[in-house]
Amino acid sequence: MSTTVMIVDDSLFMRKMLRDILEEEGYEVAAEASDGEEAVAKYKECRPDLTTLDIVMPNKTGIEALQEIMAFDPAARVVMCSAIGQESLTTAAAEAGAKAFILKPFNPELVARVLKEAAQG
Amino acid sequence: MDMSQYRNLFLSEAREYLKTINDTVVALEQSPSDRAGIDALFRGAHSLKGMAASMEYGDVVEVAHSMEDLMLRVREEGLVFDAGVADLLLEGADLIEGLLNDVEQELEPRRPPGDLPRRLAGYTPQRAQPEPHPPQQAPAPSQAAPAEPEKGIEPAGELSTVRVRTELLDHLINLTGELVTNKHRLLNIGRELGSPQLNDAVSETAKLLRALHDEVMKVRLMPFDAICDRFQRSVRALAKRSGKELSFELAGREIGLDRGILEQLTDPLNHILRNAVDHGMEGSAERVAAGKAAKGVVTLAVSRDRDRVLITVSDDGRGMDPQVMIAAAIRKRLITPEEAVLLSPRQALMLACIPGFSTAKEVTDVSGRGVGMDAVNASIQKLGGSLTIESEPGVGSRFTLMVPMTIAIIHALVVQCGKVKGAVPVTAVHRTVELRREQVESIGKRQVFQLDGEAIPLLSLNRVLGLPLGRFTSGIIPLFVTEAKGRRIGLVVDRLLGQHELFVKPLGRPLSRLKGVAGGATLGDGEIVTILDVADLL
Repeated sequence: MSTTVMIVDDSLFMRKMLRDILEEEGYEVAAEASDGEEAVAKYKECRPDLTTLDIVMPNKTGIEALQEIMAFDPAARVVMCSAIGQESLTTAAAEAGAKAFILKPFNPELVARVLKEAAQG
Repeated sequence: MDMSQYRNLFLSEAREYLKTINDTVVALEQSPSDRAGIDALFRGAHSLKGMAASMEYGDVVEVAHSMEDLMLRVREEGLVFDAGVADLLLEGADLIEGLLNDVEQELEPRRPPGDLPRRLAGYTPQRAQPEPHPPQQAPAPSQAAPAEPEKGIEPAGELSTVRVRTELLDHLINLTGELVTNKHRLLNIGRELGSPQLNDAVSETAKLLRALHDEVMKVRLMPFDAICDRFQRSVRALAKRSGKELSFELAGREIGLDRGILEQLTDPLNHILRNAVDHGMEGSAERVAAGKAAKGVVTLAVSRDRDRVLITVSDDGRGMDPQVMIAAAIRKRLITPEEAVLLSPRQALMLACIPGFSTAKEVTDVSGRGVGMDAVNASIQKLGGSLTIESEPGVGSRFTLMVPMTIAIIHALVVQCGKVKGAVPVTAVHRTVELRREQVESIGKRQVFQLDGEAIPLLSLNRVLGLPLGRFTSGIIPLFVTEAKGRRIGLVVDRLLGQHELFVKPLGRPLSRLKGVAGGATLGDGEIVTILDVADLL
């Protein structure tokens, strides 16, 4: 059975790109969410194996969503998506339990490698 | 990775962000410390940057990045969102818009960022009148072709409007409505298949459709102002004719309404205004004797409440007395004394809307109101709106019309009666109830049930529609509460099927002549429902 992923990003464009990369790699995209609140709700609903979480989002930031997801499921495997220049936020995310980081703009090979590690590790 | 496949998606979403940025900048100028607005601006610039970076549009990245940084200073470092910040952000949004147009037309960037990123980065407040416009304009002539100013590069201005035939607009609305119906079909399929991917895609589509619908409907909006002058003239003429001194005040002329609704509001509003001047308003002598200002005031005010528009006509005239209204209705045999006991003061005032309640001759001695109010009420309900009357004897009256800003797509309660599925606009439904059989009481020949301390009479919608009556073998009687003749009644149906978003289509002849039928619509599964005008049916 393929690994299920939930993609969280407020940009449809970003979600579409990431979905294409992930599906190419054989992941099953179980859900998409466009803000932090939706992310938490959908996580509880579909319990994906992996979650990619954007940091800058409306209605709860990625960090807030991460904290809630980790509180709900301490075994959650969440990979944060961040842009260059958000180093302070990545520290906060790591403390909150993020497994890994991928940097925007996405590099398909890098994304694939980081997610694979996050799924296994 | 072949990025060209994402170009259109990038363009459409980037333009959405630009629109948000433009709107938010303007809103923030009014309330510069609005946290939500500041956050939204920051996110908008940030998302634009990220998307453009993926597409490798360096110029867009550079401008968006410096806009994001400027907003970060506002957000984190207490930089005040002043006119200088607003100007720079708008200039940035314009520049990106130009760059997007170049991308769309596959041209080399014709208006590079120039020194804008530097000015965004180096912004310090309280410079004596920062004037970013001349530098913005200056490079343009050297870059652009001399003769024809390119489309899209032009900053939005007077050229940004086009004339469109209303027929074309109706066509667009029709198509959008069909899409909404189709969305429900997809939702049903998704539910049957249990596919999260499909559900996700459909829910995304649903969001986009909602946005599309709202935008398309906005195109048909016209300001209320378009019909104001008629009222001003008619009120003036009426006052003159009846020899009354009054001032007429108008508020909210700028509020937009669907042109179809606007057209159908003219007559009802004229009726109400005429009543206010002719019957509601006292003569100067009477006013002074009652301790009021000699000059009366009639106000017509329009305001928005989300997707609805409130129109109130108020006067400071003699007002209406519920007890007098009730006595008159009993005298005219419109209600029985037993029914009268059940009426609240508010419901008593609504008696004015019963056909036959009053004629012009009797109106002044009865209540000071009533001419054509049944017609007024019927036309407002036909628009999917509602009418409420408030009044205090000696102080004045207020008539409130609440109408939808746009038409065509309504929320309706779908009910099953025998083999027929009917839909009742939620505006006409006070609430739904599932009664246990033992909750039904008999008062004389009538069956009633208790709701909020009021005995609500029950009526079978099946019977009204001439259909066989339901059995209710489970002992549960489903019904919805609505209003008729100014009071609440419970309409019993076979089943309550839930609330649906319906795209209403007018019925052709001869169906359009049927009493109580307001239109038709298709459910997501293709089934046809009849839209019922309950007030008209009863």
